[in-house]
Amino acid sequence: MSSSRHQQLPPQEQLSALETLRLACFANPLDGLISLALISAVLAAAWQLLRWALLQAQWGVIAANSTLLALGRYPEPQRWRLWLLLWLLSTVAGLSWGLLRRQSWPRNDLLATAVLTGLTLWAPAAVAQPLAVQAHWWGLTAWLLLLRSSAGAMAARVPPPVLQCWALLWPVVYVSGMGLIAGGLGLVRVPSPLWGGLLLTLIEACFAMLLCLPLGLALALGRSSGLPLLRMGAVAYIEFIRGAPLITLLFLGQNILGFLLPGGLSPDRIWRAAWVLTVFASAYVAEALRAGLAAIPRGQVEAARSLGLNTAQTLSHVVLPQAIKVALPALVGQFISLLQDTTLLSLIGLMELLGTARTVLANPEFLGRNAEVYVVLALLFWCCCAALGLGSRALEVRLNRQRSVAVR
Amino acid sequence: MTQALAADVVMLEARGVNTWYPNGHHALRNVDLTVHQGEVVVIMGPSGSGKSTFLRTFNGLEDFQTGSIIIDGINIGDDLRQRDAIRREVGMVFQQFNLFPHLTVLDNLTLAPVLVRGRAKTQVERQALELLERVGIHEQAHKYPGQLSGGQQQRVAIARSLCMEPRLMLFDEPTSALDPEMVQEVLQVMQELAAGGMTMVVVTHEVRFARQVADRVVLMADGEVLEIAAPEQFFSNPQHPRSQQFLSQIN
Ligand SMILES: Nc1ncnc2c1ncn2[C@@H]1O[C@H](COP(=O)(O)OP(=O)(O)O)[C@@H](O)[C@H]1O
Ligand SMILES: [Mg+2]
Repeated sequence: MSSSRHQQLPPQEQLSALETLRLACFANPLDGLISLALISAVLAAAWQLLRWALLQAQWGVIAANSTLLALGRYPEPQRWRLWLLLWLLSTVAGLSWGLLRRQSWPRNDLLATAVLTGLTLWAPAAVAQPLAVQAHWWGLTAWLLLLRSSAGAMAARVPPPVLQCWALLWPVVYVSGMGLIAGGLGLVRVPSPLWGGLLLTLIEACFAMLLCLPLGLALALGRSSGLPLLRMGAVAYIEFIRGAPLITLLFLGQNILGFLLPGGLSPDRIWRAAWVLTVFASAYVAEALRAGLAAIPRGQVEAARSLGLNTAQTLSHVVLPQAIKVALPALVGQFISLLQDTTLLSLIGLMELLGTARTVLANPEFLGRNAEVYVVLALLFWCCCAALGLGSRALEVRLNRQRSVAVR
Repeated sequence: MTQALAADVVMLEARGVNTWYPNGHHALRNVDLTVHQGEVVVIMGPSGSGKSTFLRTFNGLEDFQTGSIIIDGINIGDDLRQRDAIRREVGMVFQQFNLFPHLTVLDNLTLAPVLVRGRAKTQVERQALELLERVGIHEQAHKYPGQLSGGQQQRVAIARSLCMEPRLMLFDEPTSALDPEMVQEVLQVMQELAAGGMTMVVVTHEVRFARQVADRVVLMADGEVLEIAAPEQFFSNPQHPRSQQFLSQIN
């Protein structure tokens, strides 16, 4: 009913914010009643939460275990390597962000900047980190934002091939990051059982995210290929994986990979789990990509072929760039579930974020502090997913610019 | 005119071509066609008569089961490399333009010459801009196809094919998807192309274009070529009853 009121108004008439609110929520008695009930329910819940957070919760458990939750038992003398990794990440992230957005600062970016700045100033202090560590975090954020704006200003002058190959930088960052984390090549080795917490969660999730893309692409192409054997193989794989719960695959992976590759050859537990995550996610990624491939009109392939492009060139220059754009929202949805699925690794005994949290809670000293720990866990996951969502949204906007806005 | 050309080089020769679609439909029945270098052949006929199928066999987009097609001396066989060689020499313009929406107009033109012919990008770009100027859209070179009108898109599609320097151009109803006011700008470009000596096979219902530009008109119905005649004769005095029927329907 309120919508019919809207339609009667001439479009140029400007409504005050208050008037808009009145029309949206209190256009008639029934609307008003529903709105009132909802608003009071939300207010009551928020009030309870706030009261709990400020008066009842004992946040000491977070401060006491913040390093454990972030890094696991990564040895103190080697932590400078993680700082180095953070600087590397903040560099690449800042540059990517700037190249995606150029000189524009949409509302999402302003919001993200505000949240990021607030978190940097507040969180390290809240968990009672020494001033030096706090300052380190401030530096990281400042560097990220600095690069974001300078890369944004220079993006127009960056040659297109650099932009096209930019995504390939992330696997390189991952490999160098793992080099820093694990050691070797002159660095002291830090064995994988010492990696833990958020660090391990991200190691596992990023491994799977990077590898499930090429694997999923191969499966999607296999599934739409003309060779029956290849097609059946891809279908069997996808349907088997999608029919099995991840947790059974994880248990299976721990056992089977041990049988298949005996002794020292079998990958470490951590990498076994990472491979299972990859194998699992790639089946879903394949389906997302297949939907993208199916959305490309036949005429695109015909035009490419009639210009003389061969199959591989048609795929890489005409079909895939368009298909990935279509599949992007589904892919990001997949990545977000993947990130959350890493919590299942705690059930096979890995000390990722949830596993670490459970050991903290098992400590008699912190008995009964479940709510505090799980709230922080939820917020951490929420931050990671929000970052993924914002990044993909920015990528989508950039890829879609040809549809709407003229490029100068 | 046809006599003079007959002595010339044969650009396309189709002999006894038969095509069955996988569902068993017999789409082409023993069709023959010879096109000489520099000639413009217009194919007409009712919808579903196999015009597109015929045109698309010329660059291997459609398979045929019996008969032979020789284009510029290359026999379209099962050999994939020969098929690729033919596609390099034959340009095709589609009813739906089929521009690549994720590339700028300029990149649409340069993609194939750079990838397929391995030419230097800067050199291809210069040629592409000249071609765009020829079809009257060089100012839009850095826009994306989605920002252009239908007529402009079709002219870009023609320029994109020309950028590969083809020996033969195929047009499958190039103006059928256009708003009426844009038909003329595309036909104009095609007419200039024909005047420049390009060999062209054009499926179209534009009678005026066929009268003015075609050297010969081909009438197809039910997968068969029923009549081949010079345009003045075809339009004033069609021989086959199906031609008479078709012309009375479109007038
Ligand atoms: N992929 C296909 N499978 C089966 N039949 C087809 C296919 N494509 C076209 N046909 C049929 O072949 C006949 C000729 O089609 P087409 O060459 O597109 O005709 P035109 O271009 O003259 O309208 C039509 O009857 C059409 O239904
Ligand atoms: Mg047709």
